[in-house]
Amino acid sequence: MSEDFFIKEFPNGLTLLSQPMSAASSAALTILTPAGASHDPADAAGAASVAAEWHVRGAGDRDTRQLQDALDELGSHHSEAVQSEHMHFSSIQLGRNLADILAIYADILQRPQLTDASFQPSRELALQDLASLEDEPARKCNLLLMEKFFPYPLGRCIYGSQETLEALTADVVRRQISAHVSAANTILAVAGNVNWDELSALVERAFGDWPGQAGPTVSVTDQPAGITHIEKDTAQTHIALAHRSVPISHDQYYAARVAGTVLSGGMSGRLFTEVREKRGLVYHVSCRHQGLKDTAGMFTYAGTRPEVAQQTCDVTVNELRRLAEGVEEHELQRAKTQLKSALVMQGESTSARAAALAADWYHLGRLRSLREISKSIEQITARDVTRYAKDWPAETLTALVIGPQTISTE
Amino acid sequence: MEFAEAQLNNGLRIIAEVNDDAASMAAGFFVRTGGRDETPEIAGVSHFLEHMMFKGTQRRSPLDVNREFDEMGANYNAFTSEENTVYYGAVLPEFQTRLLDLLCDILRPALRQEDFDMEKNVIQEEIALYQDRPHYRVYEALMNRHFAGHPLGNSVLGSTESIAQLRRDDMQRYFDRRYSPGNVTVVGVGNLDFEAFVDKVGQMCSQWQPYDTTRELTQPGDSRRQATIADGKVTREHIGMMSPGPAAQDEARYAAELAAAIVGDQTGSRFYYALVEPAIADEAHLTYTPLDGTGAFLAFVSADTDRAPEAVRIARAELERFVENGPTDAELQAAKNKIASYATLKGELPMGRLTAVGFDWVYRHKYVPMPEQIDTLFAVTKQEVHELARSYDMTATTVLGLGPLESL
Repeated sequence: MSEDFFIKEFPNGLTLLSQPMSAASSAALTILTPAGASHDPADAAGAASVAAEWHVRGAGDRDTRQLQDALDELGSHHSEAVQSEHMHFSSIQLGRNLADILAIYADILQRPQLTDASFQPSRELALQDLASLEDEPARKCNLLLMEKFFPYPLGRCIYGSQETLEALTADVVRRQISAHVSAANTILAVAGNVNWDELSALVERAFGDWPGQAGPTVSVTDQPAGITHIEKDTAQTHIALAHRSVPISHDQYYAARVAGTVLSGGMSGRLFTEVREKRGLVYHVSCRHQGLKDTAGMFTYAGTRPEVAQQTCDVTVNELRRLAEGVEEHELQRAKTQLKSALVMQGESTSARAAALAADWYHLGRLRSLREISKSIEQITARDVTRYAKDWPAETLTALVIGPQTISTE
Repeated sequence: MEFAEAQLNNGLRIIAEVNDDAASMAAGFFVRTGGRDETPEIAGVSHFLEHMMFKGTQRRSPLDVNREFDEMGANYNAFTSEENTVYYGAVLPEFQTRLLDLLCDILRPALRQEDFDMEKNVIQEEIALYQDRPHYRVYEALMNRHFAGHPLGNSVLGSTESIAQLRRDDMQRYFDRRYSPGNVTVVGVGNLDFEAFVDKVGQMCSQWQPYDTTRELTQPGDSRRQATIADGKVTREHIGMMSPGPAAQDEARYAAELAAAIVGDQTGSRFYYALVEPAIADEAHLTYTPLDGTGAFLAFVSADTDRAPEAVRIARAELERFVENGPTDAELQAAKNKIASYATLKGELPMGRLTAVGFDWVYRHKYVPMPEQIDTLFAVTKQEVHELARSYDMTATTVLGLGPLESL
């Protein structure tokens, strides 16, 4: 597998990353621009979500429909999303259509029309997304847990609240866009069927004149741990737990990933074995590492019938804490194999590679080869995992419970 | 890409699409059985049995099965639908034989009573999980109404009651009726060694005894009507609409796929412009579902309660307009580009090719290379799409709403 990386940093602050993949006919594009939901003012929470939708409702010379049709004609599978730190655009298409797609995204980012007429439906969809959470308790549980866990406002619900969305005006969102959507600190990554010289010339032409001025940074406040219960007459009690972990740049990061895999990799992980296989308490239980740039957590979720919710929580929390007592050699080997194998399989996917390039650049300021990651995983010892689990124990938990009754995490 | 096939003496078919450029390989067992092959007394048995397949064999305990998959770093799972049950795993090429050893072995499960009793709890949890997902509830209730009286209307999960009453021996009898080698296709894709593949499957599965398995393909009746399930615990109105479509065996499926994309793709479709773009609904899409001997178009719309009746009116009007006038040239071209592009992207990963190659064989006993399928798609004319929309009458919908409203 080819692992040639190309990097070009433009004077306006834009970074272009690329990995040509010889076997692929597709080219995947990922754009991260530092206009994520954590930048929304408190009284305008949800602005970034509305902005992401608004950006694709007409750009350059094309109105909403012409823009959409142009993407469709090029066979683009695209999405727009907002996360804590970034507004995220992705599009995957055949490599031969990449040049035309880049020209369209240059319009979307630099010349969105942002008309008053298209503002209302953009905001209305965000309101409906927020309301939809009521019918998706598992998703709501995990989203609200982020809000309670991460230093505020880094985990705040990307849709804001009904009040802030209803109060939002087109001008407020335009101000947010002009403050944060710029070439400064924007990352554009392309993986797959792509030629570097052509790509870099195209991007130079399409994005080289884009002004870049970095927006203000977010100041954050730590939040107390504890349990939040949202009473709802659901069929299952939804339990989401979080405890501190290390971000990608930390030297214990790979130990954290191995630890997470011992707990929750495949069907032989400790949580699946103890909670589901031995006790039949759940259909779904899992734990995953999720990191922002400077902070990270281990997020655990279990959905279970209310009558066994307390038992499910007890067994789950016990497994999270037991990790600090050590891991067996066979568990360690299995976890490493799983992580390395997943790496190779993701390495076949152009969209996974484009997203990984952009994430590496943001978190580390450099690109990791699959070989480097594989080697770093291989070097982790049982002692590293135990030390990680002791340094970052599941003692203080933030919990979010949706269901008829609450539970205790003690 | 190279296609290869073989058959064991007991009728078990082995097919593969070999791609030396791939970094991984995937293998799947496609069993032609599902909810439609059940009687009401054993509702949910196909899916429960799928879980039990991971619960060990004569030589492996349940924990052995999980552990061995994970020791290979496999990406593996199984799923059960109305008419298929599929077990699959993807691994690095060096694990080909170990993966097959495990998959072939678990397809002849021990079905131990204690494991059966424990897994019953997990199934009940899964049923509860889906009760908290209005989307799934609409799908299940819509299938039940659209296919009223036809086995395709059976619930795949079964009910709390049917699962509670199910006995291990019922499951064994179902297994003995449906898992004959002639009813199973072994599919390999990606970077694999076909000769070794066939040898291993032969060594593991040649002693499987064949017996007769049949599925009667009756046509569903006309069930178009509108109903609601009023549930105050649900916040928004979730609406499903279903109308008849061509069968999986029918060449008209290409035109059907195009019709569905033009009317109801997630982006740039008629539903998108009429419902999502003006924010009348936050979700409105339509897909074509090819089935064994029949087929369906399935639409989902979700909206605020006060706009739900309007959303249904608009969706119906869009269907009527499409049946009346057919697609435009530009719409047809865009739909072809989108479908071809998506198939190509999906085909770059062995896991993406596994189901495509597998179902081509299950339904049509045929392997068609992707470029040829794309040529066929591009040859479909505007008239053919219009004719399809008319002849299957895409306006003949069964409509079901789930949410606060008493009626739509």
